Amino acid sequence: MLSRTAAHLYWMSRYMERAENITRFLEVANRMSLSAGKDRAAYWRPVLTIAGGEAAYSESYGERSAVSVIEFSVLDPANSSSIYGSLRAARENAHAVRSVIPSELWESLNTTWLETRGLDGARLRDQGLTSFCEWVRERSHQFRGITYGTMLRDEAFHFLRLGTFLERADNTARLLGVRATGVKAGNTEVDADDQMHWAAVLKSVSAFKAFRTVHGDNLTPVTAVDLLVMRDDMPRSLHACLDQVSLILGKLNPSAECSRLAGAAHAQLHWGRLDQLLARGLSRFISDFLTANNALGARIHEDFLLA
Amino acid sequence: MAFDEMKSSDGGVRSPYKAYENWLLSVPPDLLPRKNEQADTLFRRLGITFAVYGDEEGTERLIPFDPIPRIIAAAEWKRLSEGCCQRVRALNAFLKDLYHDQEIVKAGVIPKAHIFGNGLYRPEMHGLDVARDVYIHIAGIDIVRTGESEFFVLEDNLRSPSGVSYMLENRAMMMRLFPDLFTRHHVAAVESYPDQLLKNLRSVAPTACDGDPTVVLMTPGYHNSAYFEHAFLAEQMGIELVEGRDLFVKDKLVYMRTTQGPKRVDVIYRRIDDDFLDPDAFNPESALGVRGLLEAYRAGGVTLANAIGTGVADDKATYTYVPEMVRFYLGEEPILANVPTWRLERDDERKYVLEHLAELVVKEVQGAGGYGMLVGPTSSKAEIEEFRGRILKNPSNYIAQPTLALSTVPTLVEKGIAPRHVDLRPYVLMGETATLVPGGLTRVALREGSLVVNSSQGGGTKDTWVLENDPC
Repeated sequence: MLSRTAAHLYWMSRYMERAENITRFLEVANRMSLSAGKDRAAYWRPVLTIAGGEAAYSESYGERSAVSVIEFSVLDPANSSSIYGSLRAARENAHAVRSVIPSELWESLNTTWLETRGLDGARLRDQGLTSFCEWVRERSHQFRGITYGTMLRDEAFHFLRLGTFLERADNTARLLGVRATGVKAGNTEVDADDQMHWAAVLKSVSAFKAFRTVHGDNLTPVTAVDLLVMRDDMPRSLHACLDQVSLILGKLNPSAECSRLAGAAHAQLHWGRLDQLLARGLSRFISDFLTANNALGARIHEDFLLA
Repeated sequence: MAFDEMKSSDGGVRSPYKAYENWLLSVPPDLLPRKNEQADTLFRRLGITFAVYGDEEGTERLIPFDPIPRIIAAAEWKRLSEGCCQRVRALNAFLKDLYHDQEIVKAGVIPKAHIFGNGLYRPEMHGLDVARDVYIHIAGIDIVRTGESEFFVLEDNLRSPSGVSYMLENRAMMMRLFPDLFTRHHVAAVESYPDQLLKNLRSVAPTACDGDPTVVLMTPGYHNSAYFEHAFLAEQMGIELVEGRDLFVKDKLVYMRTTQGPKRVDVIYRRIDDDFLDPDAFNPESALGVRGLLEAYRAGGVTLANAIGTGVADDKATYTYVPEMVRFYLGEEPILANVPTWRLERDDERKYVLEHLAELVVKEVQGAGGYGMLVGPTSSKAEIEEFRGRILKNPSNYIAQPTLALSTVPTLVEKGIAPRHVDLRPYVLMGETATLVPGGLTRVALREGSLVVNSSQGGGTKDTWVLENDPC
């Protein structure tokens, strides 16, 4: 397969996954700020860690407020990591490989983009942020359903799924990092605000029910992190993402350097223990994980996509 | 009155259309509009669209499809087919001669100044031998009809003629919409076009190719108006659709970047102009090309289809010499005639044209797509005067032709079925020999009275049927 074709497939699914995950960040911020007594704007800040970054935001908006963070992360065409920008990029990449992907997939992505393009601040307020977020996730579910349900399991499918899991690992890690300070192994002290935050995080990744099944009513930062880092049966956990990434890379080329990197990262989660991983705190773990994940992405480019 | 291909002048129906007419009389009147809507939905769903230059980013339009076929008798086709192949053989011989010994110039058939003053003449090609001596692997010959046996060549497209995907898709659509019509007619098949093309492209692998030749289709990218066609043909031939950035040249050989490492490329069917092929050799601003491609080509490391420098043979001034080329190179009489053409660089011809602008069609020598032309009879006085000024500034940039009464074919319009003007573009393929798939692209001017069939100017397309056997 042409390296460029592989790159388009990989980025198409990365951007679709990013659009979906921005809505998850927005939902956490929305829930928390609605329950907060003061300084509501502060809760919107973490959205920027996935959707475009604080520096770019301050440049064009300055003061932080709920409305402007939403505008920047949802609709701003100049922000390439807004939902708008991500869906546009997903569609552009799909356009370039139209003859490779199932036609339903192209039609679905094109429709998603055309509807998003017609959206503005007024229409978004009218529809409501929550129902817009739900709609984006539905489109993402459809994207996943078509690829999973119709595509031949060949290189095209592998690169597409690779993009999904690499982006998801990044996004889940960033979501865990929103309130990582002070989270350490053995630390069972929880205040009400913490509890509310971690419940919102779990809900945002549709994992609250799963949490109850696994950990019952024992909601602490550490148990929530356990679910979203260590559990390989939890599809958005870091462990599950790396399971997939190393499996896919093994199929593409087991002797490539990126396969080794993925295997090493996977082994850490697969054979490691949470208390050891959190020995230096969740913040440190997350920042190390993100660095390794970025390096893995860069190496995938070098091994397959630039050629 | 223009010649109608279905109704003869005495009120009857011409023989190629008799079976169709019988069918048409037997179906309910709303059948065609209903089928037409169905076709529209299907084309949209399949994404058979083209981008319009100058329109807002991302706009894609369907080229209107007309559900009534244009039918050509077997005997008519035989003449057209022989005429087109003859023409392309002569043009190919002309290019070989032009880039080698220039016998035709020495013999005084074509003035030297005409060739060396032509911006599309490529000195880089001089003395270069191309695989199998084929320069024109794909040609689109535009033909118009004005009477029972009056066919004229309007122009030759020898660079990268487009539209063949519509020939194939229109046929597939017609078979889907009207299967019963195909049981009533023996329509010659066009489906072998991609196979024939691939076979030819493989047959012109360069000397440096030492195994099974790898053929790719090179596109400027998905913003190009014909991108759909590029993707379609690559898919049909089962070859990679590449952009310039997917290729690189090393030691005068061309490679594509794949997920499994570099892979040799032997033949490039390029749908990109000469100017953009190689920033080192041509337009240095080109981001679409491949550095070193010309050098690899000149060293016999890769074949380009069509060859570089074919444009000098298809501009509208060279066109006037094609009948002479047929005589000069083939020793044959041209089977298909040119439209009478005045060259405005000549004083006497210019004088005549300037006096008769209101009756004539004036075209830029290197124009395409219906842009930069004057259709005298349908232009206002002011438009004519404005164009006169342009001609006087640079007369050799223009040619003029009489306004031809293009033949009409019944076409589905809002008020029912009405005659509309058409032209025809068959596609000649050259490998070991020149061949023509029986069919082509019929373009139809949908506006009443209009003679401009270009898709960028409101033209549509029809399926073109060549009958296997003529009815008695």
